[in-house]
Amino acid sequence: MAVTGRAVLAGFAAVLVVLVAGSLGLWVAWAALGLLAAALLLDLLLAASPRAVRFERSGDTSVRLGETAHVALVLANPGRRRLRARVRDAWAPSAGAQPRSTTVSVPARGRLRLSTALTPRRRGDQFAAGVTVRSVGPLGLAARQCTHTVPWTVRALPPFHSRRHLPGKLSRLRELDGQHLALVRGQGSEFDSLREYVPGDDVRSIDWRATARRDGVVVRTWRPERDRRILIVLDTGRTSAGRVGDVPRLDHAMDAALLLAALAGRAGDRVDLLAYDRRVRAQVRSHGRGSRLPQLVQAMAPLEPELVESDPAGLVATILGGHSRTRQLVVLLTDLNAAALEEGLLPRLPALTARHLLMVAAVGDPRVTEMAAERGTARGIYSAAAAERTLGERHRVTAELRRHGVEVVDADPDHIAPALADAYIALKAQGRL
Amino acid sequence: MSAPASPATLAPPTPPGESGAPVSAGAADLWRRARGPLAFLGGLVVLALLLSLGAQGNRTGPLEPEDPAPEGARALVQILDSHAGGDVTVARSAADAVEAAGPDTVLVVVGSHRLPADQLADLAQTPGDRVLVRPTTLALEALAPGVRVTGRVDGRVLAPECRLPAARAAGTADLGGELYAADGARACYPDPQGEGHGLVQVATDHGTATVLGTPEPLTNARLDREGNAALLLSLVGGRDVVWLRPEPVAEGGQADIWSLTAPSLRYSLIPLTAALLLLAFWQGRRLGPLVVERLPVVVRASETAEGRAGLYAARRARDRAGAALRSGTLRRLRPALGLAADSAPEAVVTAVAARSGDDPAGLRVLLYGAAPGGAADPYTADDHGLVRLGDDLDRLEGRLR
Repeated sequence: MAVTGRAVLAGFAAVLVVLVAGSLGLWVAWAALGLLAAALLLDLLLAASPRAVRFERSGDTSVRLGETAHVALVLANPGRRRLRARVRDAWAPSAGAQPRSTTVSVPARGRLRLSTALTPRRRGDQFAAGVTVRSVGPLGLAARQCTHTVPWTVRALPPFHSRRHLPGKLSRLRELDGQHLALVRGQGSEFDSLREYVPGDDVRSIDWRATARRDGVVVRTWRPERDRRILIVLDTGRTSAGRVGDVPRLDHAMDAALLLAALAGRAGDRVDLLAYDRRVRAQVRSHGRGSRLPQLVQAMAPLEPELVESDPAGLVATILGGHSRTRQLVVLLTDLNAAALEEGLLPRLPALTARHLLMVAAVGDPRVTEMAAERGTARGIYSAAAAERTLGERHRVTAELRRHGVEVVDADPDHIAPALADAYIALKAQGRL
Repeated sequence: MSAPASPATLAPPTPPGESGAPVSAGAADLWRRARGPLAFLGGLVVLALLLSLGAQGNRTGPLEPEDPAPEGARALVQILDSHAGGDVTVARSAADAVEAAGPDTVLVVVGSHRLPADQLADLAQTPGDRVLVRPTTLALEALAPGVRVTGRVDGRVLAPECRLPAARAAGTADLGGELYAADGARACYPDPQGEGHGLVQVATDHGTATVLGTPEPLTNARLDREGNAALLLSLVGGRDVVWLRPEPVAEGGQADIWSLTAPSLRYSLIPLTAALLLLAFWQGRRLGPLVVERLPVVVRASETAEGRAGLYAARRARDRAGAALRSGTLRRLRPALGLAADSAPEAVVTAVAARSGDDPAGLRVLLYGAAPGGAADPYTADDHGLVRLGDDLDRLEGRLR
């Protein structure tokens, strides 16, 4: 039940009528009031039932963050009266739904298609909250209102901004592979094929055994290793909630992880994903070759930073207890937080590095670097000192990790994804995978 | 742990295509939801009505027969009503009093300032004895002719010193108040200075009129002192009592603004109220319920560093701040100088001096804060020193780069 602005106008018109004709007696006031009430009641009774309206939904179920998804809503009016109504397809504020409400007129037994454009402002699942129909009567005075649940979910996927780095990194990969025009020999350690000796080939790569069986000289060619396993671990603990430039660390980490996964997928490696704080939040295992990128993106989409301290012991146990008994590259995306790492991860590193190659990637905060450069005022110099201390601890943890044979990638948000990709390519070039 | 990832995290849930369960409450739902609170409210109203039946709102005021407060007269009225042998009729207007009074009744008049002259004249014609409690001059003239006010003595206990049986039986009483004198009257409780008497009794055309100069002896507070109660009971003497305490006189003859407005203006308030209610409902009615959303944590990653900066500044922790600045510079200088992280200060100072050509002693103060001769670190003496330390370290780094 609701009233319209027209009903309010009618109310004030009744005031005018009573002002003019009130000298006739009190009955004029009550008669005006009664007429108004009767008109409202009549309008309510004559309005099409909003309760009987039926809905159908269709449209996008996922959208990359920053882009717009369209969800269609089909209204069916099964009644015998024309439905004149305002319809609101409600979504959570961060879904960025437009328009907020629509004025519709659906003939009896007719259908109407409405479209809602969603531009989510946050990663994760957006749920349709409900469709409210406010059916106005023929006089336009009063309306009946009913809310229906018409479920729909739109998943806002990580934006993957770093995909613009992908072509450049792929061409560097192809250089390694020998597919590129610039021939770089000797990369990789995996036997690829035998071919005729061409002047200019390294004599050390001549396969004498094969040469003995043939007329010409035969050399071995090598290629980078393939089918290596890469496990990307996202730390979703409390340190991942901190915002670097208004985006949580976790989202920067996802961006870097997606670039690495895309690159590794093209390079023929298998990419697994694990999101962990005190328990497994998401897990993707690759079976066979091929790109797992869509699964990774879907698994990452609903992840939220949890406000708990991460449990490195459980993390190490989960990695070691995983189904892959073979050596793999473990890429841990976390924060180089001295307190958390020194107490949690460092003591357990030997167990991990004995079996796997560990790479720690962390997003640095440009704000801390800015603070470290502040000078001139007392306040500024204290800020600089505090920032220097943070940077010093970060440096100390990095040195400690490197001493344990861990690869450390520490870069600001704009460079973390390419830096991680470069580190991966470098490992591949060195044949350390 | 080796279980495959749940499908829910891999693919977005595919919602059903058609649905539309109404969630808004229908009329039946509304009634079901509202009847509990309505029943509760109804119960409260019934309870309040029942309670208010037992206790009619007590009137209050000086000598009010229903007022149990110290200045009320409920105690006396109840004694007169139930123990003294007579009945008490409370009259709220002169007309009531005239109607209730008879030859065998005693009319007690309190608050006579509320009685206009015409009503006083009516009362003067009623038969029976009267007791006037501190009457106004007007009431005195009408109801006890011949008595005049001669003086005033406040808050005194007076002795009867007369032959009036009631006064003699009661003894001393709190009759310090207005003092009267009258020719041919029985006057009791004289004031020691001889200005007049606290109680006088004159004969009128219809009986006696007793004038008390103060209401004190009748109040709940003073009734049990001295001979107050006995004095009043003796004056009444077991007869029926008409207790006249007039209501305040309504102001007459003055038209208020309400009655001066045109009736049409007054009547238009009814539809105006309705229109304003409609306006409120029009603007207040939401198109569907509020949507709840789980909000993310918003915390800057640099918050710990900023917090630490605030702590340094608040505590003026110059030694720690200076140490942090120096260690930052040393961290950046060491690789350029080919020094390890655990190099001794002497080695660092020597290497830096060799590169920059500065005085080693000054460099030592700048990089390690150790002034020659064990003096205090000049850079951390005050905030200006700390600012200078930052600038000097920057300059050194710039030259060595």
